[in-house]
Amino acid sequence: MADNLQQPSALRTSIRLSLQYSFLYAVLSALVFALAYGFTQYEVEDWVLDQMRSDAEILSEIYQDSGANALISRVDALAEVSFENARIFRLVGAEGAVISGNLLVGFDGPVPRFVPAEDLQLKGASNDEVEGYWMREDQIGPYSLIQGSGDHIVAEILEALGLSLVIGYLAVVLLGLVVGVRVGRITEQRITAISQTLSSVSSGNLSARIPAVANARDDLSRVSGEINVMLDRIKRLLESQEQISNDIAHDMRTPLQHLRQRLEKLRNSPSVAPEDVSASLEQTEEIIATFNALLRIAQIEAGNRREMFERTDLAQIIANVVEVFEPAAEDEGVSLTIDVPDTALDVLGDRGLLTQMLSNLVENAIKHCPQGTTVEISGQTTPSATILRVADNGLGIPAHDRERIFQRFFRGE
Amino acid sequence: MRVLVVEDDRETAEYICSSLKALGHVAAHAADGKQGFLDALDSNFDVMVVDRMLPGLDGLSLVKSVRNARVATPILFLSALGGLNDRVDGLEAGADDYLVKPFAFSELSARLTALARRPPMQVEETRLQVADLEIDLIRHSVARAGEEIAVQPREFRLLTYLMKNADRVVTRTMLLEAVWDFHFDPNTNVVETHISRLRNKIDKPFERPLIHTVRGTGYSLHG
Repeated sequence: MADNLQQPSALRTSIRLSLQYSFLYAVLSALVFALAYGFTQYEVEDWVLDQMRSDAEILSEIYQDSGANALISRVDALAEVSFENARIFRLVGAEGAVISGNLLVGFDGPVPRFVPAEDLQLKGASNDEVEGYWMREDQIGPYSLIQGSGDHIVAEILEALGLSLVIGYLAVVLLGLVVGVRVGRITEQRITAISQTLSSVSSGNLSARIPAVANARDDLSRVSGEINVMLDRIKRLLESQEQISNDIAHDMRTPLQHLRQRLEKLRNSPSVAPEDVSASLEQTEEIIATFNALLRIAQIEAGNRREMFERTDLAQIIANVVEVFEPAAEDEGVSLTIDVPDTALDVLGDRGLLTQMLSNLVENAIKHCPQGTTVEISGQTTPSATILRVADNGLGIPAHDRERIFQRFFRGE
Repeated sequence: MRVLVVEDDRETAEYICSSLKALGHVAAHAADGKQGFLDALDSNFDVMVVDRMLPGLDGLSLVKSVRNARVATPILFLSALGGLNDRVDGLEAGADDYLVKPFAFSELSARLTALARRPPMQVEETRLQVADLEIDLIRHSVARAGEEIAVQPREFRLLTYLMKNADRVVTRTMLLEAVWDFHFDPNTNVVETHISRLRNKIDKPFERPLIHTVRGTGYSLHG
């Protein structure tokens, strides 16, 4: 048993679990971040292509409203304001003559979607960071318009995004790891506290309890609480067991001594007197009765009769016990009265034990009350409990004895 | 009566058998559960005494098997297992009575006699009579020498039990169990006070007493 409770394995369990969760967390975060990156890239490219399409539409409107010259001058202007060839244009006439633009050479066949910068011949110097251009071709009246957008803006946006995502990712994973290990360590410390308590108990220290953790209302606290309750119960049971052994020793010794004396006397006497034999037998009966009573108390205190509990009518038990003791009470000059409601007085309990409890109380009242006393046995049901009361108008129990009457074998004066 | 004693402790078995024989009964002994089971099937006993803890076949299983074999012989469990639930277990297995060791032979003998004379399939009697004492179980009336006697319900139940076991000894514990369902011994002499009340009504006004005290054991009702 003790080998299974060694602390290293407990440490490994909690730390390993938190590491596993951290790893899973990192993989999931990476997936989410990669998705974010991909979406952004797609959106930015889309935005660039949209801009070229909207430019083509505006130029087409200019041509329709104001004619070819306006179109040409506008393309000229666009090509002119394009800083470091961020945007490139090429306007070609119906007969193939180049009319305007900073893209010097056109394409054979259809225009590709993306062209590397080194494949293009441009007027003037280009930005070093441009690696290629997204291209678009439109037909405006008789003219063919080729436009391109440099990828450096997109690249820069993505670069900035990528950088922040990576930094963020590292921060998230690191934090996850730190928190995970910390939580794991706290859990591990608490598990260690539990296992230390348990091994302390199994090595004989029955008073050891798992220390409570402030403000913790989690399942570990619940389990700790339950273990503590169980330990309390085990301790009580053992104490009661010990108490019983002591009681047996104490209560048996004297009658056994008497019995032994009688038997020795019988052995030594020449003739056996029947009274002596009867007295010995009575002594034996007494010992057996004490023994049975002690065992019964032990069993009741162990509480293993609870499984036998069933719906029991308390009123019926009261009626039966009063019936049994009424003649004896009359002889003592004590009157017994019953006060129970007409409705059922059902409780969940053991008929035999409830009967014995009630008869102990009634018997005690009859024995110790002076003549003329009334003992009232009443039962009532309140919303929260069923109450059984045995009350007499006799001497009562002195205040200083009231705590002690629940001790086994206690007798008041 | 013919008694089968299934008991593995030799001293106890001998004590029971010889005491029974001294009373004029026939006692057969089986020292283990299997032998006890075979004997129970073979011979026609009036009553059986069975120990709970037996070699071969334990007492509970023995009683269950005997009952499964449709043997209706009354069975008394005689056991050192005196726990609160043991009694219930024993009766549920099919036994008719339960006596905890250590026991007094007079108690065992009284209980066996009460069990043995009980007819297997009881015809509901409506009237019981012992000498000139009569009770009517339906009208709940008691009469002695033709004279109606008023009794309380509790006295009637006690008297009924004594009448049903007329000529036999009933012990204090038998009365406590059968009449009041008390499975423990109160310190007060409750049985004595009840008997004394009953005597005042059915014996005192008449010349011949019917309720007799059996010293150290209990009571017996006979003419």
